[in-house]
Formats: sequence, structure tokens, C-alpha cells
Amino acid sequence: MNIYTARIILLVFTFLFAGSGFAIAAGSPPQRIVSLAPVITEMLYSLGLGDQVVGVTSACDRPAEAARKTRIGSMPNPSLEAVLALKPDIVVMSREGNPKKAAERLQALGKKIYVFQPADLAGLPAAIREMGQALGAASKADEMAREMENAMQEAVSAASANQSAARKTLFIIWPKPLIVAGSGTIIDQAMELNGMSNMAAKAKGSYPRYSAETIIRQQPELIIIGAAHDEAMGRQVQSLLQQLKMLEAVKKGQVCYLGDGLYRPGARVVEGLKELKKCGETY
Amino acid sequence: MNAKKQHTALRAGLLVFGSSLIILLCLISGQQLLNPFTLDQETLNTLLALRLPRVIVAFLMGGALGASGAVLQGIFRSPLADPYILGISSGAALLVASGLLFGINLFSLTIPALSFAGAVATGGLVVLLGRGWHGLQPERLLLAGIGVGFFLSATLMLLMTIASNDGLKQAFLWMSGDLSMVDFGAVPFGLFFILIGLALAFYHHKGLNALTLGDEVAYSLGFNPVSERLWLFMAASLMTAAAVSMGGVVGFIGLVVPHIVRRHIGSDAKTVLPLSVVSGGTLLCLADTLGRTVAAPLELPSGVVAAFIGAPYFIFLLQRKQNR
Amino acid sequence: MICAADCKKVPLLEFQNLDYPVAERDFFQQLNFSITVGGLIGLMGSNGAGKTTLLKLAAGLLQPKRGRVLLGNKDISSYSGRKRAQYLAYLPQLLDMNAPFRVAELVSMGSYFSQGQQHFSITEAIEIVGLSGKADAFLSDLSGGERRRAYIAMTLLQGGKLLLLDEPLANLDLKYQLELLRLLKQICRDKQISVIISFHDIALASRMDRLMMLKNGKLVADGKPEKLMNNDIIREVFGLADEDIPSLFSGFIKVC
Repeated sequence: MNIYTARIILLVFTFLFAGSGFAIAAGSPPQRIVSLAPVITEMLYSLGLGDQVVGVTSACDRPAEAARKTRIGSMPNPSLEAVLALKPDIVVMSREGNPKKAAERLQALGKKIYVFQPADLAGLPAAIREMGQALGAASKADEMAREMENAMQEAVSAASANQSAARKTLFIIWPKPLIVAGSGTIIDQAMELNGMSNMAAKAKGSYPRYSAETIIRQQPELIIIGAAHDEAMGRQVQSLLQQLKMLEAVKKGQVCYLGDGLYRPGARVVEGLKELKKCGETY
Repeated sequence: MNAKKQHTALRAGLLVFGSSLIILLCLISGQQLLNPFTLDQETLNTLLALRLPRVIVAFLMGGALGASGAVLQGIFRSPLADPYILGISSGAALLVASGLLFGINLFSLTIPALSFAGAVATGGLVVLLGRGWHGLQPERLLLAGIGVGFFLSATLMLLMTIASNDGLKQAFLWMSGDLSMVDFGAVPFGLFFILIGLALAFYHHKGLNALTLGDEVAYSLGFNPVSERLWLFMAASLMTAAAVSMGGVVGFIGLVVPHIVRRHIGSDAKTVLPLSVVSGGTLLCLADTLGRTVAAPLELPSGVVAAFIGAPYFIFLLQRKQNR
Repeated sequence: MICAADCKKVPLLEFQNLDYPVAERDFFQQLNFSITVGGLIGLMGSNGAGKTTLLKLAAGLLQPKRGRVLLGNKDISSYSGRKRAQYLAYLPQLLDMNAPFRVAELVSMGSYFSQGQQHFSITEAIEIVGLSGKADAFLSDLSGGERRRAYIAMTLLQGGKLLLLDEPLANLDLKYQLELLRLLKQICRDKQISVIISFHDIALASRMDRLMMLKNGKLVADGKPEKLMNNDIIREVFGLADEDIPSLFSGFIKVC
């Protein structure tokens, strides 16, 4: 299926879920919130709802306070019993990463749920506002959304001010196996805003696997690499760059390192956008 | 000899009684003990609503897999046969993963229906390929199943490599036998086909016994070995497909439960079939319960836990058999 | 099934003008013989003579290209599995050693299609074959000869009048061969069951009630052993050299 059909289907899903999310959560602001995804947990804290959070997944470690909350299982496989044992007022889920079945079961058992599912980067501010409304943190959400819109706007203006054609860019998420950001990802959309042409946009899938030869053949002008988590990954990044050393971009040092703000649609997208803009300007 | 029959009946009775106790235990256990005296009505209802479907589905799945394994071990005269020996699980997994990865699911019955269709289609394909000049021959069937199974698995791997990340984790989870989100939705569908499969298998239990002696002796006893094998294979396929449609691919049970039953009760299909159902169902229930209780809120896949419980016991039985 | 008055006239088993190809050339050609009630019939011949094939044709495991196999004057193909099992039983040379059944369980399988019509109880059948103490033993714990006798007990439960055994004496010690032959003859006598066995040990030929000698698909001799055990026939059937033959009649085979 092509990207348009995918977008349409996503839009339909958005209406189905977002609409229901809104309707169900009307009423007094929830006091006991369970989050089923790390990105949701981060956003809840950013919205100032940290105190109302009573349950998080085992992978929720940002911000640091979240690590002290009760665990309810993993993102792809949350324990319904654990969730229900916390007697939440609302369970906040992410469309990407949580099993659809969990949403169905929780609703069938009479629990309020909210599914956070921004269609893409452009739709993120609206989605944040909506979630803020549902959770009784509308003003903070509006603030966050505006920050995001400003960051996006800045990126667009900076890019259009710079008259040169879009630069061929590649965003490497993981060195080994070599995974890059393809179309349909926040990263791809952010790159577009910044006037970068994503070389991997035509590849199949959102996170296609590449080989070093492919990169060398495609000759990117700018390489962006997701920051290393630890030593081991750092070494792998270095060895990858060794393999690519014949590229013009590598020789000229057109390699920029970026944090993981843009990996998921959430609180740190603004950070990510700013970093990306700086990348584009510096290199 | 009457004493022997009584002995067997006693053992069977003990097994059924013990199983009922274990199943009750399964219902009660969990992160919170289901104590009707101390818990409030709402919590009680919630826990029951969550646990009852799991226990029932686990029992049905385990039972179907146990019976299916018993039938296939008889047809192939091999102690190593298990319900997935003919690539049935690969076909089911492929179709389900396709559905999950391409977002085809719009109704809640899609996954069970897809996996059932995949399993049955694979079974049918393997039967077609396994027909020799004399109809269904075990060796050809086995080879066809292995070949088809590998091919489908490879296709599945390819699919997962080129498709996006979204459905990947869920597909993996489903394929490893995940009972955490089951509800009663898929039960009527699965139960229907399990009952048909069981009825078929039981109707042909004499043929199953006879096939164990070899085709020629089975023929001499009055059976048509080819048609018996076909019916029994269909029965096993239906039961396996139904089990897979309810909760994914749970290994180990179909392989080991028939052995355990035969070791304690004897090899007559008339007793092995129903007791494999009971034992298999109980084992999976137990495994699922342990999986969700031992490391709560983490959920250990039931197939893995079943292997952890059952494998040592199985090895113990093997040792005892050698020393006999 | 007590022998009715006319059963001596109706052959138990009959081959009529039977043709059967093996490896694309005609093997059995116009094979004709019939067996009426009674006795231990020995099918003799060297390997490849067609003993197993003949038994399988008689059992219906193989189908003739031309000609007919008749059971009691009815074509064998008209028998349903059930009816045929009630009429005759066939045991191959290689019996499964690992069948996980006890003797009693195995024997009871003979009654699968003969419910209500069987003439022996399981205990009786086990007793007849001399395995009385071992009803609960596992087949895998028995010796080869005992195992075969358990299977024979199973066939008894089928209630048939004809028993076809392929090389039942193979791999048995002489003592047990004689024991088995004695058992088979007893079954023939006491229960009016006809037993056809294939074998190729000449020393035992005299114990048969009737000998059928095969060579390359041809029935070269058919009759009582006393009449058939002469030099010419033996030379032809077994392809022996002259100097080996005289020593056969004493029951020993001397190797110079």
C-alpha cells in the first residue's frame, strides 16, 4: 500500500480513537493515571501530572522520578491485572507500541482509556492539546504545543532563508545492524522541515536496514547519527565510520550527532528539532 | 487382569481429580489472591473477568495440543511427533503476522480466523504434497511438512525484516504463545473445532491403536490404514489450528504430555486421548498461572514456563524407563 | 464358526488364473490353487520365489493384474474391511518390536471388528498360545517368539478361519521353531483354522500337512510332504547340486 492510503487509514484511526478518547475522558480531571508507554510517562510529567501517575511500564525511566512508581509490566505486554489493581481513573496508551487488545480489554472492563496517537509531526501539537484537555492539563499542554509549533516554524523559515537545494541527508539510528530512519517517521518529517532530503525516504518501511555499500553508493552530503548509549555502541559507530571513510561527507567531517528526542512523538521533540536545526546550520 | 483395569481406572480418576484442584488453584492465584471472603465485589468481578478467560483458554489450548500430539505420535509411530511437525504453526504464524504487520485487523475475530485459516491451509498443502502412490505415507508427509514449514518460516522472517516496526513486537509476542490478553471472544470458534477434532479422533481411536502396529497389521485387523491416517490427521490439524487460533504457538505440550500419560496409564488410545486432553489443559493452565504470578507484573510466556516445568519431569521419566 | 456340512466343498481360499507383475515383468502367471478347510500349509521356496507376494495377494494387500482371489467363493474385493478381518488374518514377517502395548491390550485389538462374534476370550487366546503368565507384560519385554505368539493370539480373536503368516519361524532357535509349529498344528486341529506359513527350512517340511513349493512365481509342486520330498523336486525348487541332496532326507544337512 502506498503512503497516501496509509495516511488515510491512519487518519481514520485517529478519528476513531481520538474521538473516543475525548468523549470518554470528559468530566473532572483524573487523579490516578496509569501510563503504558515511556513516551507517555515523559509527557505526563512534562504536563505537570507527575503526582497523579500511579503506574508505569518497566521501561519508563525518564524522568528519574518515574522509576519509583509501581511497575505494571512492559509496553508490548502490560499486565492487565497489575493495571487494574492500581484502580486507575484513566489509562493512557500509545497507539504505537501498545497492543490494541489491551485497549479493548480495558474498555470492556469498564476502564477509561486515552490513546495518544499523533498522525505525524505536523499533527503532534494538536494531539498534545487534545490529551491535555482529556487529562485536565489543558493550559500546560497548550504551552507545550506552542513551543513545538514555534520550533517547527523556526526550522522552516531557516530552511527557506537558506536558498540552496535540499541536502541529501541520512539519519542513522543504529550502527549494527545498520538501521536508518525512513519515511513515515518523525525524524523524516523533521528533516523535511529543515530542508534536508532524506535519502532513505524511498526505501521500504519506516526503519529500513541498510548496508554500508548502499550508503557509499548513494553519496549523502550530510550524515546524522543517533547518539551512542554506551561504550559498545560508540565503538560500533566508529567502526561504521571507518567503513564509510571514503565518502566525501565523512572526509569533510559532515557528520553530526543527535540525541533521541526525535525518536518518538513526545515531550522532547522540541529539543530534537532544535538540535536538528543546529546540525543543519553547523555542518 | 481386572485388577489391572481397576488400577488404571484409579490412576485416571486421580489424575482428573488432581487436575481439577490445580485448575481451581490457577483461578485463585495471581498477583492478588482471589479470596472471595476478603475482597470486595468489584475487585472480585474484575479479577474473575481477567482470569476466567485465561484459565479456560489455557485449558482448551493445552487439551487440544495434548490430544493432537497423541494422535500424531500414533500416526507417525514416532515419539518425536508434535502438533507443529507438519509446519502448521508456520502457516498460522505467517498469516497472523501478515495481518498484524499490514494492519488488516478490523474485527476482534480476525487473528483467530487468520491463524486458523493459515493452519488449515498449510495442513491441506502438506497433505497434497504428502500423497504417494498409496495415499498418505508417513515419510512423505513428514518431509513435505518439514519443507513447507521451513519455507513458510523463511517467508515470515522476510516479511518481518522488510516491514515496519509496529506490528513486529506484537507478532513476536503472539507467536510465542501469549495468553495475557485473551478474552472469551475466540473461545466459541476454537471450542467448536476442538470438539470436532476430538470427536473425529475418538471415533477413530481403534484405528489409531491399529496404526501403531504398522500398516499391514492394521489392514489385517480390518482397517484401511490410508483412510484412518487421513481422518486422524485431519482431527489433529483441526485441534492444532484451533489451539493456535486461540493463543498463538505454545510448544512442548503436544510433544511431552502424551508421553507422560502413556507412561502412567498405558498406550490404549481410548484412555490416552481423553487423559491427554486433561493433562495438557492442566499443564498449560499451571504454566500460564506461574508465568503471570512468579514475576508479576512481568508476564512470562506460557510455553516457556511449560517447558521449564515439564522438561525436568520428562527427563526423569526417561531415566526411570531406562532403569526398568 | 463350526464347519457347516458343505464347507468342505467351498474352498476357503482360491486363486483363479492369477497374473501378477513384479518389476514390470509377469511374475505370477495363471496361478491356480485352492485351499479347503484344515491343516497347516507350508509355502516353500528360496528367497524371491514369491512366497511373500502370494501371501499378500491372498490377504488382499496386493491386487492381481488378471484373475481372481476368492474367499469362500466370493471375490476378495467384494469384502469390506470388517468382513475380511473376520474371515482371515495376515501377519508380516517383521512385527513392530516397539509397539507400546501390553500383551492383553494387543490381543484385545483382534476383536475390533468381530465384536460379538469372537470365539475366544482374551484370556483363552493368551492361554492357547502359551503366554498365560504374561498377559500384563509389555511386548518390548518379550522374546521374538513370544511376541509373535502374542500377535497370533490377537489374530485368533478376529474369529477367522484362515491365518496367513509370513516367515513366522525366521530367527527362532530350532527348539522354538518346533514349539511354534506344534502350536500352529494344535490350532488347526482344535479350532479348525487353516494356517498358511511361508518358510524355507527343509528340515521342517515334513511337519506340514500340505506343501506348496514355489520357484520364480511358479507353483512347481503341491501336495503332501512325503510325496514331494524327492530329489528332483528339491533340486528344481532350491537349485541344489546333486551331491548335496542325498543327505537331506535324514533331516540333517551335512556340509563337507
